[in-house]
Amino acid sequence: MSRAVRLIAFFAAALVCLPLILAGLRGLPAFGQHTNPYGDAVNAQGEALRHVTNMVAAVNFDIRGIDTLGEEFILFTAVTGVVMLLRGARGEARSADPSEILHRRREGRSEAVTGLGRWVAPTTLVFGLYVILHGQLTPGGGFQGGVIVAASALLVYFGEGYAAWRLIVHSTALDVLEACGVAIYLVVGLVPLFTGGSYLENVLPLGEVGSMLSGGIIPILNVAVGMAVIGGFCTIALEFLEETRQPKEDDE
Amino acid sequence: MTVLIAILLLILAVTSLGVVLTREPRRQAIAMGANGLVLGLLFLAFQAPDAAYSEIVIGGLILPLLFMVALSTLRTTGKKK
Repeated sequence: MSRAVRLIAFFAAALVCLPLILAGLRGLPAFGQHTNPYGDAVNAQGEALRHVTNMVAAVNFDIRGIDTLGEEFILFTAVTGVVMLLRGARGEARSADPSEILHRRREGRSEAVTGLGRWVAPTTLVFGLYVILHGQLTPGGGFQGGVIVAASALLVYFGEGYAAWRLIVHSTALDVLEACGVAIYLVVGLVPLFTGGSYLENVLPLGEVGSMLSGGIIPILNVAVGMAVIGGFCTIALEFLEETRQPKEDDE
Repeated sequence: MTVLIAILLLILAVTSLGVVLTREPRRQAIAMGANGLVLGLLFLAFQAPDAAYSEIVIGGLILPLLFMVALSTLRTTGKKK
């Protein structure tokens, strides 16, 4: 397609779409305004009803917990898809170096990167766990904290190299972590059914507002999502890195 | 619209332009991270800290990090062994 044809196609499409876009923009609420009363209602009553201070957690993991279950399955399915696409017949020898591939030059990392990684990776790990465990109190939660923990594992790769990274990241352990995370979410939702409640009903004692154990099932679900996200994102990183490694004969 | 939001929107326009105009993959990863970070700060200014958190860890952290990791294993020399 030449440049002229593309331009003509663009202007033709713009002519059709522009009135629709403008009509849509005119219908938008004013800047900074929201027309949905739901958020205000949750902000007003959430703390009294669920004993949590992060209303987003109250909505995500209790009031609309079923939506988050769906999202967790989306992540689970996406990670499974990545693994199925990328994992071929290659093995998983820990000592293998992904840079030792024909035609690829290995550049040594500077001592500054290694030194900084040794400080930043553990700090990031602790911060990620903090974000997961305080999801019901402060902004953040299982998803955000899980991604931070997965990033701390990648920082080990940056600082120490592939072999050291593979010492802390085991494919099987990640699979178990992710599957358990999803399973805990499912099972926590099933428990109220046996007492005549509805799926994902918050049956646990709600605890004291501001305490780490407040919110009933909300912290448990946060930890479950955190486990699934740590497993999922570490698996994606692992598969990406394994993909660039040349398999050895004795790996299979 | 407060001054803070106006400033953040301006910075966002600049970083977004940076993402579009950058051509070198490693710089693209950094530009994307900067864009995600500013977008997260904008969410924070809109009083949506939870969404800001998600945007910063995904757009500003894990996405550029994954790209950097993939790129660091793909450095080519052009020479054949």
